[in-house]
Amino acid sequence: MPRVLIIAYGNPLRCDDGLAWRVAEALSQPDLPSDIAIITSHQLTPELAQPISQASTILFLDAARSGVPGDVLSVPLNPQPGSSAFTHNFSPQALLAIAQELYGLSAEAFLISVSGECFDHGDTLSPKVFESLPRVIHHVRELSNRSASAIVPSS
Amino acid sequence: MENKKTIVIDPVTRIEGHAKITLHLNDQGDVADARFHVTQFRGFEKFCEGRPFTEMPSLMARICGICPVSHLIASAKACDALLAVRIPPAADKLRRVINMAQIVQSHALSVFHLSSPDLLLGMDADPAKSNLWGVFEKDPQLARDGIHLRQFGQQIIERLGGKRIHPAWVVPGGVSQPLSQQDRDAILSAIPEALTIALRTLSWLKKITETFREEVISFGNFPSLFMGTVKENGGITFYDGKIRFGDATGNIAADGLDPARYFDFLGEKVETWSYLKSSYYKPHGFPDGMYRVGPLARLNVVDRCGTELADQELAEFKELQRGAVLSSFHYHLARLIEILYCVERLEHLLNDPEILSKHVRSEAKPNAPEGVGSAEAPRGTLFHHYKIDEHGLIRWANLIIATGQNNLAMNRSVLQVAKHFVRGNALMPGMLNRVEAVIRSYDPCLSCSTHALGEMPLRVQLLDPEGSILAEVVRP
Repeated sequence: MPRVLIIAYGNPLRCDDGLAWRVAEALSQPDLPSDIAIITSHQLTPELAQPISQASTILFLDAARSGVPGDVLSVPLNPQPGSSAFTHNFSPQALLAIAQELYGLSAEAFLISVSGECFDHGDTLSPKVFESLPRVIHHVRELSNRSASAIVPSS
Repeated sequence: MENKKTIVIDPVTRIEGHAKITLHLNDQGDVADARFHVTQFRGFEKFCEGRPFTEMPSLMARICGICPVSHLIASAKACDALLAVRIPPAADKLRRVINMAQIVQSHALSVFHLSSPDLLLGMDADPAKSNLWGVFEKDPQLARDGIHLRQFGQQIIERLGGKRIHPAWVVPGGVSQPLSQQDRDAILSAIPEALTIALRTLSWLKKITETFREEVISFGNFPSLFMGTVKENGGITFYDGKIRFGDATGNIAADGLDPARYFDFLGEKVETWSYLKSSYYKPHGFPDGMYRVGPLARLNVVDRCGTELADQELAEFKELQRGAVLSSFHYHLARLIEILYCVERLEHLLNDPEILSKHVRSEAKPNAPEGVGSAEAPRGTLFHHYKIDEHGLIRWANLIIATGQNNLAMNRSVLQVAKHFVRGNALMPGMLNRVEAVIRSYDPCLSCSTHALGEMPLRVQLLDPEGSILAEVVRP
C-alpha cells in the first residue's frame, strides 16, 4: 500500500490540460520512493476511491481554467459528497467522500493545480505552463516528504 | 384535428452520450407516440479516410472511452483480413482475454453505476437521491462490489494493454506484447473475489426483480428477433463465430451467417429525427426486421455458455418466459450472467500454458483490398468494414454499432413504457424515470453509435401545441 498517492488527471491531448500527465511522467523515475504511487487518468471515476482509501496522503494534480497562466495553487481538500447523476466525472472532494463513505478514509488530501492558458487540441504545453513544471514537481516532492516526516515516529 | 401535446426528456441521464425522448400526448393526456432521439453527431467513418490502415485500431478505439477494446478488436480483425493472415494462437487467446475483461468492466458500469439507483432505490425514488450517492448510502456493499468488479476488468486491460483507456496493444496481425507470467498470476489471483461478487450480485438482482413486476411486463416486452455470434456448437462467444438470429418463440430464424457478409442480411435506415441509424434484418424488411442485440439477445440465441456456473444461470434464465426472454428489463440479469461467464472463462484461458507464448504477432503486408472484422461488444455485435487502396490507405469505412441495431427496439420500448406509465395530465418524476430506465436497460452507447460528453441534468417539459410550458420537472 502506498503512503502517498498522486492522482494526475486531465486530457494529455488538450494542451495545458495534460499538465498533470507531464508532472507524473517527470516524477515516475527509477528514484521514485517505493511508498509513492502515481495514477494518471483522464477524469476522476468512482473506482479511484478504493486506492485513495489505502494511502495516507492524496495529491490531486490538475490544470485549472481560471487564474493567471502558470500560477501554481495548492489547497487542502476535505471530503464533500456530491449530488450529480453524472457517473464518470467526480470532483476530488467527492472522491474523498466516496472513499470515506465506503472504505473509512482518514487521509489528508491536497489539490495542486496550475492555471492553464490553452486547452485546444494538441500535446504541448503553453510556454508559461511549461515553465511552471519545475515548481509543481518541487512542490509535489515537498508535500510527499512532509507527509513522510509526519508519520515517522520520533526517536 | 387532434390536439397534441409533447413531453420532452432532454437529456436522458445515466447513459453514455447525448439523447432526448419526446412523448406525444393526445387530447386525453395519454401517450400517442414516443421517440428516442440521438442528438450528437461524430462521423469517424469519414475522417479516417486517407489514413494508413495500420492506424485504424488505435483511431477506432477513440470512438469510445467505455468500450474502446471492442473497437480495437473489431478493427484489428478487419485489418487481419486486409493482411490475410492467421494470427498466432496466443494472440487469439489474449485478444479474447482483453475483450472479456472489457465486457466485465462495461457491464459492471451499467449495472452498478448507471442502473443500480433505479434497481436499489426504486423507480419512484426522489430524483435528487436517485444516483450513486443514494446507492452508497443505502447499500455500501453493493457499491464496493461495483467498484471492485470495474477495477477487476480495468486492471486486466491495464496489465495487457498498458493503460485502462484506449490501449493500443491489439494490432493488425495479433497483439504487440506477450503476457508475462507475473501479470497472468496477478490476474488469476483476483478471480475468486470477482466470482464471489458476480454470484452475490446475481442473487441480489434475482431477488429484487420480484418487486419490478410492472416493469418486467412493460419494459420492451414484445416479440422481436434477437441476434448474436455463436460458436459452431451453439455456445456463447465474444470474439468470433457465426451469426445466429433467434425469433420470439425461441426458435432459430437464421444460422451460420458469415459476419463478413453482414451487408447481405443487415440493412440500415436513416430517420430525419435522429443521428442514430436503425438497423433491421433484411429478409423481413423495415421495420418488421427489428431485432435486438447485446446480453439479452446473446443469451436468447445461444445453446450454452460452456462454463459450470454460467450454464446453471443460463438454464434458469431461459425459464423466465416461454420461448425467448422478451422483456428488456432482463438485460440486467443477462449482463450479470455474462459477467459470471467471463470470469469463469478468463480463468480457463489464463491457465492455458499457451497464453504465455512469446509468438503473438503475424507480420504481413496488405494482401486484400477489403476486410471485415466483427466481435461481440458489451452492447452487442460490432462490425468494422474497411476498403484500402494500393498504398494501404483507407478509402472507405463502415461501422455497424450495437446501439444502432437496438434503435428500433429502444423506440418501441419507450412507447410501450410511456403508454403503460405516463399520464400527461398528472406528470410525476417516477413515470418519466421509467421511460429513461427502459433505455438504460439497453445500456446504449451513443458515443459509439454516432461514431461527447458533458453535464447531464434532466429537464422534462410538458408543452402545449403552441410550445408553452404547461409543466416542468427538473432533475439536478
